[in-house]
Amino acid sequence: MSGRYGLFVMVLLLAAALVATACAGQKAEEKKIVKVGVIYPMTGDLAAVGNDHKAIMELAQEIINGEYDLNIPLAKTRGLPNLKAELQLVFGDSQGKPEIARSEAERLINEEKVVALLGAYASSSTAPASQVAERYGIPFMTPESTRADLTERGFKWFFRNIPYDRMAVESQFKFLAAVRDKGINVGNLGLLYENSLWGQGAAQEQRGLAAKYGFTIVVEVAYPKEITDVTSEVLKLKAAKVDTVLSTNYINDAILFMKAFKEQDFTPGAIIGLEGGMVAKEFIPSLGKDAGYVLTTATWSPALIETKPIVGKINAMYKEKHGKNISAYQPHAFTAVMVMADAINRAGSTEPEAILKALKATDYPGESLIMPWKGVKYDEKGQNIYGDVPILQILDGKYEVVFPFELASKQLVWPAPPWSERK
Amino acid sequence: MTRKPTKETLPALPGSSLLKPGFLVPLLAFVVAFPWVFQRSTFQNTAILVLLYAFLGQAWNILGGYAGQVSFGHAVFFGIGAYTSSLLLINTGLNPWLGMLVGAAVAATVAAVIGIPAFRLTGHFFLMATVGFGEIIRTLFVNLPEVTRGAQGVFLPLLESSIKNLMFRQSNTGYYYIILVMTVALFAGTAWLERSKLGYYFKAIKEDWEAAEALGVNATRYKFIALAISAALTAMGGTFYAQWVLYLDPYSTMPLMVSVQIALVAILGGVGTVMGPFLGAALLLPVSEVIRVAVGGGGRGISPMIYGLAIILISVWQPNGIMGWVQARERRAPQDQTGGAEP
Amino acid sequence: MDLAVILQTLLSGVMMGFVYALVSIGLNLIYGVMEIINFSHGAFLMLAMYIAYWLNVMAGTDPVLAAPASGLAIGLLGALTYKLIIKRVMKAPALAQVFSTFGLLVFLEALAHFLWTADYRTVEKTAFSGVVSLFGLRVGLAKLVVAACAILTTAVLFWFYNRTKTGKALQATAISHRAAKLMGIDTDRMFLISWILGGATVGMAGAFLASLYNIFPTIGTTFVLLAFAVVVLGGFGSITGTLYAGLIIGLIENVAGIFAPAFKYAVVYALFIGVIVFRPKGLLGR
Repeated sequence: MSGRYGLFVMVLLLAAALVATACAGQKAEEKKIVKVGVIYPMTGDLAAVGNDHKAIMELAQEIINGEYDLNIPLAKTRGLPNLKAELQLVFGDSQGKPEIARSEAERLINEEKVVALLGAYASSSTAPASQVAERYGIPFMTPESTRADLTERGFKWFFRNIPYDRMAVESQFKFLAAVRDKGINVGNLGLLYENSLWGQGAAQEQRGLAAKYGFTIVVEVAYPKEITDVTSEVLKLKAAKVDTVLSTNYINDAILFMKAFKEQDFTPGAIIGLEGGMVAKEFIPSLGKDAGYVLTTATWSPALIETKPIVGKINAMYKEKHGKNISAYQPHAFTAVMVMADAINRAGSTEPEAILKALKATDYPGESLIMPWKGVKYDEKGQNIYGDVPILQILDGKYEVVFPFELASKQLVWPAPPWSERK
Repeated sequence: MTRKPTKETLPALPGSSLLKPGFLVPLLAFVVAFPWVFQRSTFQNTAILVLLYAFLGQAWNILGGYAGQVSFGHAVFFGIGAYTSSLLLINTGLNPWLGMLVGAAVAATVAAVIGIPAFRLTGHFFLMATVGFGEIIRTLFVNLPEVTRGAQGVFLPLLESSIKNLMFRQSNTGYYYIILVMTVALFAGTAWLERSKLGYYFKAIKEDWEAAEALGVNATRYKFIALAISAALTAMGGTFYAQWVLYLDPYSTMPLMVSVQIALVAILGGVGTVMGPFLGAALLLPVSEVIRVAVGGGGRGISPMIYGLAIILISVWQPNGIMGWVQARERRAPQDQTGGAEP
Repeated sequence: MDLAVILQTLLSGVMMGFVYALVSIGLNLIYGVMEIINFSHGAFLMLAMYIAYWLNVMAGTDPVLAAPASGLAIGLLGALTYKLIIKRVMKAPALAQVFSTFGLLVFLEALAHFLWTADYRTVEKTAFSGVVSLFGLRVGLAKLVVAACAILTTAVLFWFYNRTKTGKALQATAISHRAAKLMGIDTDRMFLISWILGGATVGMAGAFLASLYNIFPTIGTTFVLLAFAVVVLGGFGSITGTLYAGLIIGLIENVAGIFAPAFKYAVVYALFIGVIVFRPKGLLGR
């Protein structure tokens, strides 16, 4: 009977998978090793991000443990010279769930004996995971969680490299004000945001700063992020006669909105994103020329691959391995490994207090970063004070820096040409 | 229900062999000793999750198993419990244990309101209505930031470690024993319920509510009672979760997947049985945890693949859940006095 | 709010309605005949979208033309699901049935993740891009094509269901398995056919949708909840009911999107609950 056979196959598959996983757990240990824990969503809805981050962090680990002729601390030497040890990243899977992120943090600290933690993408995972680190007295560094109040909790062991949302929104408004000063009509603002933690937080900042900088918000459109059809949201923006859209979207909704803007022939003077979907690696390939003229804040930009040599080199190494360019938040993850390894090496010890002291004294040089930042240096809350947020515009299918004006790689195009005139 | 059931006329309830001292005493000894034997935090965290889901699964079981009203919306009650105690703690400094009781009361009230339309429906329609209510209430949580802090979520303040504060900073043992006591108490209560008049009414409604009504059981009233109890207990589990994870937001605390997981635990274990939810939780959560830890970062979907396969295999082989095996064994052992009176 | 916006909203609601109806019909076919909720329906949709995507990447096939292939493949998957899983849980409690298909959903989504990673993918080469404009109302060509395919599929199914012997046998089986058996209908075969048809329609739906949406392993779950609402609302077992219900939900969603986008799905569910409370059999259910 064929059915029975099929069931048998399923059992076999199950057994094989279990054996495979058991084998994967075995590892040989020889050299002196310093372990750093990394928590990311490796499965579930955010899995794409977690797996991309893992790939580039493993490259960082390779650079630290091997000898490479790169202008990056620890690249030229093997491992962590001050400890005569190799760095080993130990990955944990948060599944994007807070309680699992919490459990993984405890597991990595207690069982893997990691000396520091990195992670965890979604702020809802970073919050509980860093709480565990705080309780155990282990440094926790987040490369990319932007929720503002993460650094307002009075934590001693928490560090953040990325400029948080308020800084990025501030950059949007500095840009708008500078554009206005040039005599361009910015007009009425409309807020478009996904209605979860990130979007609501950004909208709150935008409301405050609009008042401060003297701009008028005429409409707010908050939408659930699992949205399937966005036509009515676009019509709402269109009916409100919005001139400039401040758009806070994830990748899936960002693409849906851009398609609907075109379908409904809605061309605001500018669409200004807040990273997220607008800088995701799928954004330009999915939309092609329809992604043109979109503006977005970006703590990192693919333009750097060509303009900053060190980024080009790292990108080439990554591309050789994985066949694609580095993108979105991957450079942040890479940077976190480098900065943390550097701190541990300077501490010359795996004692948490020593690493904490070294982290606090961090002054990582900008030229060694694959970020556009002046460097990495933390304030008393653990926030990196050197994180800048330039504004990019998609021109001819590429991200170009357009603000600050003095750093611009191309001239800003504002207002964007109507859909009918694009070709 | 003209004749009051007496001990003598009772048939053995399915799975009763798991409620005998020969099984329960070693099991209790094992769970009490667990944190001392297994000190690794993975084991302890997994054990806490097992107990929490056994608790939630049992709460679900009262409505879904005994009274037969299958809900896929219990994450709502879980979220209400978690949020009520946490917001009261933050805003008024109310002790979390008292917050837990308030949360239970709020959840029972919301459940009663949901029940008014939902109990006009049965079967798959009731199930779909609970899914709908789950989505509606979660949307309200996201969009009422004045009350719930919206999608921004809630950080719980770190309090002094103590049982009174329901908070432990360095060790998980405290959390473990608290959820253990809660779970044991709930399971004991369920064992009592199974034999009680209330329990019989629930089962009568489940088997054939029209017949139950004809016999004078007010089916609707007992459905509401089952729902209120179930919701209140689920909310208590929510408070524990909040105190343990110390962070809440509507998307991660009360998504549909939490509702499904709660039901899944009870269903895989065996619905309408006392020990079912425990067996379900004890199998399901460690399996997914062990796979996750073993596979670690290299996951790429392997762990949910095995998880999904395991669910398929259990439903195909033993549709009555793990309790199905237990019952089959009980039937094969007729020399057992209590197991002999099989109908 | 001017008239143009209102009309445009209604139009895009109708377009989405066809999409929802197309996605839901397969679910309803299976439920109508077997009273089993197929939770893996969303995963079927997702796999079909990947099939269309890969055909597009490797052979340059337009997603709409990939529909026969993906329909066939997912129809086969439906048959396998019935033979390997559903047949074994048919006599089991309804809960075991629900969870066997839920397990399949988890498994298939994980499988897609394993095979193709969780990257978002977009069909790049499609003949049906661009916008159709009529009396100032605008609609994407791809959406129009999907709507046309949905109407066509529904019409064919309707014809099959009501005009062919097999279709009538399916209906008889839906009314009563026992009576159908007594009348000499091979119910096992009917069940198999309902799974093949259910799989095939969602397989085709996936191909049509591939050009509208990004493709990733959990895309199906986005639709499947709405599909459940559509099926319940339209009435189990009624093909035309599903079409109407899809349209109603598409319209509600779009109108709610104008007034309170953050609440749009809450409004959909509230109305859905309202309807089933007063008409538990759905709009056109038996």
